[in-house]
Amino acid sequence: MSQHRAFTGGEAVVRANGATVGQVINDLEANYPGLGSALRAGSSAGIGGEIHAEPEYLKVASDTEIYFLAPVVGG
Amino acid sequence: MTATENPTNYKWIGTRPIRHDGFDKVVGKARFAADLNLPGQLHGSIVRSPHAHAKVVSIDTSAAEAMPGVKAVVTGDDFPALDPTHPNFDTAVNCMARGEVFYNGHAIAAVTATTREEAKAAAAAIEVEYELLPAILSIADSMAEGAPLANSNNYTRFVPPGDPSNLATVTNLDRGDVDQAMADADVVVEMGFDCAHVHQGYIEPHACVVDSGDGKANVWCSSQGHFRVRSMTADVLGVENSKVKVTPAEIGGGFGGKTTIYLEPIAAKLSEKSGRPVKLVMSREEVLRASGPAPSAELRIKVGATNDGELTAIDGWMAYGVGAFGDMAGLIGAMSVASYKFPNLRMETYTALTNTPKSAAYRAPSAPHAAWAIESVVDEIASELGMDPIDLRLKNAAVEGDLTAMGMPHPKVGLVECLEAMKASGHYQSEPVEGASRGMAVGFWFNIGEESSATVNLNEDGTANVITGSPDIGGSRASMALMAAETLGIDVYSITPIVADTESVGFTDVTEGSRATFATGKAVVEACEDLIGQLKARAATIMGVEVDEVAWVDGAAVSPGHGGGESGEPLTLAQITAQAKRTGGPLTATASLNAAGAGPSFAVHCADLKVDEETGETEIVRYTAVQDAGTAIHPSYVEGQMQGGSVQGIGWALNEEYIYDANGAMENASFLDYRIPVASDLPLIETIIVEVPNPAHPYGVRGVGETGIVPPMATIGNAIKAATGVRMTSLPMSPPKVLKKLNER
Amino acid sequence: MSADSTSLLDALRDELGLIGTKEGCGTGDCGSCSVLFDGKLNCSCLILAPEAEGREIVTVEGIADGDQLHPLQQTFLEGAALQCGVCTPGFLVAAKALLDENPDPTETEIRYGLAGNLCRCTGYDKIVRAVQEAAVQLKTTSEQGA
Ligand code: FES
Ligand code: FES
Repeated sequence: MSQHRAFTGGEAVVRANGATVGQVINDLEANYPGLGSALRAGSSAGIGGEIHAEPEYLKVASDTEIYFLAPVVGG
Repeated sequence: MTATENPTNYKWIGTRPIRHDGFDKVVGKARFAADLNLPGQLHGSIVRSPHAHAKVVSIDTSAAEAMPGVKAVVTGDDFPALDPTHPNFDTAVNCMARGEVFYNGHAIAAVTATTREEAKAAAAAIEVEYELLPAILSIADSMAEGAPLANSNNYTRFVPPGDPSNLATVTNLDRGDVDQAMADADVVVEMGFDCAHVHQGYIEPHACVVDSGDGKANVWCSSQGHFRVRSMTADVLGVENSKVKVTPAEIGGGFGGKTTIYLEPIAAKLSEKSGRPVKLVMSREEVLRASGPAPSAELRIKVGATNDGELTAIDGWMAYGVGAFGDMAGLIGAMSVASYKFPNLRMETYTALTNTPKSAAYRAPSAPHAAWAIESVVDEIASELGMDPIDLRLKNAAVEGDLTAMGMPHPKVGLVECLEAMKASGHYQSEPVEGASRGMAVGFWFNIGEESSATVNLNEDGTANVITGSPDIGGSRASMALMAAETLGIDVYSITPIVADTESVGFTDVTEGSRATFATGKAVVEACEDLIGQLKARAATIMGVEVDEVAWVDGAAVSPGHGGGESGEPLTLAQITAQAKRTGGPLTATASLNAAGAGPSFAVHCADLKVDEETGETEIVRYTAVQDAGTAIHPSYVEGQMQGGSVQGIGWALNEEYIYDANGAMENASFLDYRIPVASDLPLIETIIVEVPNPAHPYGVRGVGETGIVPPMATIGNAIKAATGVRMTSLPMSPPKVLKKLNER
Repeated sequence: MSADSTSLLDALRDELGLIGTKEGCGTGDCGSCSVLFDGKLNCSCLILAPEAEGREIVTVEGIADGDQLHPLQQTFLEGAALQCGVCTPGFLVAAKALLDENPDPTETEIRYGLAGNLCRCTGYDKIVRAVQEAAVQLKTTSEQGA
């Protein structure tokens, strides 16, 4: 999620806690104010090579890598 | 021709039945958006800004209102003011300006009258007083230090809140140590490129009929997604979604350009004010001036490689010019860099606002620009190293687990398979025809999933209606029928695929991102699987056995006494549906999903062409497109997508461009002057479908609609380089530009 | 009934309800509105309705022989020569004009014969092949008939 570095003090990879993607976003918001709403304003999540749209309640196991991507559109 | 045969033996999938909606289309009965007329219908006409950027001082509609036949006039004042943070704020302003116009062609008022001629005459009589504002017409102007704002409502997205800006996105992606890798590289190539705006060029102009009687807007229109038309129209009108019903007409091409709205809320308002149904149809000039072109772009790409052909680093700067409204073109462009491993990567990209028509998605949006630049640079590296361009790409091709630019690992992808198929092709194995030279390039697109619904109803006679909410823009009804036939085990012609209105089927996202066959197809398969469960239960009742003794084989229920052992006959689907009433009533099933796991699709193209050194004209003599379809449900329509995408890319490469005058007025707003390819410009487009199944779809489908437009520009640029020794860096590579480069040689 | 300035295209579509003939540009540049005007290929958007008085106009609706599709219609269907289908009526009329004139065209002759018709979906490949196939079928039937 290196496009969100403006919120993370330059870090491209950060750790966060949560049982769902939404909880992870809440945890990120607590540590990096503004990041949560930026992520909710427009992102999908890439997990295990699959892209999920609006992943708020998607369950994630511990040590899962989540890639926050722009919501990919198409033509 | 299929290079890697799908290992599974399907009965229906992979066959080429005549499409279900075909007959109506060859006899002239199919109803497209402009083909519908309602009793008492009026015609509308829209007044458009002649200025690229201006304040609207006043609009005087009194003369127009007094003209013969005129029934209603609307302006921006007739629509609610949405909050600037509303997701459809820009769409609303783009549909009808309020106090400020942002491009030449921006709608400013509209009128409806008994006839088209009366409406046009009245529109011409509406007087608008403008106060000119500085207009931003290029990416460079937009990004210049201290540049005036193209739209003061725009803020950069995904960053901490700041001041209004000409930049809608600023993206920095990186991994590894690019500077060190460039310093260590044996070969470094860096080049700058630019691309003009181009249009999707669908042959059917935007059109709609709206009847706003009874407090509800009934909309008939063609679009790539009528549920999005519903929500956008409702938002622009300031009403609830349930106050808008959208019935899809046949759609005459979209390619991304019909994923948004332009006319529907205006027709709805005119209908509301006049009390009559209103029809609005864009002219071709309006289509070009006021509906979505693809972004323009400025790009600078630097690639480093080792002597043995490892691409070690890419350093890219890309800016996309999108018109005067927020867009994510630059971000998506950065993300589309995904074909090669590139251990070190830095992409800095921008989405820049300009006072030109609001850009809309166009087939694999943003990817063609980036691929054009990167594949041109990679081609230069291959020639510097003296390597075959396919071998160089094979050495660096991304496979499962390799990282895309945004850092996410690829799922299972078929780039290597596509490169190998091209390498083995008759085209690549033979010498270019006399006097021609060859180029090749690669393209990538993500494809998307999103929400889809499907209802499958079994009829008493054993036929099935497959009802979805995905407008069919290129044969998807046939694909839905094939997947249903395969799953249920019945004849494809006993299935009627239907695209239903917004009140007759569950919510379904737009047909875009090559998602219909993937996501909606998955819903169809799930509904059919549900039906098989029901059919087995009904069969158990009829046979007098336990349901777990029943299996579904070839469209029939089989149990030990009924075709499963030595004795008896299986119970066919038609025999079961005939007894539906006795066994519990009609058989019907619905499935809805938000599909994850869309499979990215890679393509590899190759062209042989000749350049006339006197005129700068390029003639393509042979063209081959290879693409990974996952599984080709209906191979003819997969080939059709590949061929159509290729030719749109060829037009983009060689001819198509928006030409603006110094004030931002489009100078070539007609099919005469905005020249898309015609049959005599082209050779046959040979196709090779590669099938690396997508594990996330029951039949392995990836999307195929978009990737085909990504490789042609570099394919052609690389072939022109091979033919002439000159590297074209500006799109389109039209005869005057080629000639100029040839003369500079 | 039509005003003097009404185009043949609008008269066909609005007054006669023959919606098979399409408007892609209204300026003679796309061929969606192709009709046969006394047997000759023309853009109906460029013809004024009164000029058609007493002439024979063939639109896509008139190509089939009752329920029997014209070979071109059949080969377009079988060869997937249409995607969205909005250009199809114009191509069928133009291809009929071409084959009426030249029953045995080369690929290049087909491409030039159809160069006045725009299709944005197919890349023309399957359209050209469908016309080639129809030419073969028409020749076989006419040879059998002879
Ligand atoms: S509508 Fe007549 S040529 Fe385009
Ligand atoms: S099939 Fe769509 S324009 Fe030809």
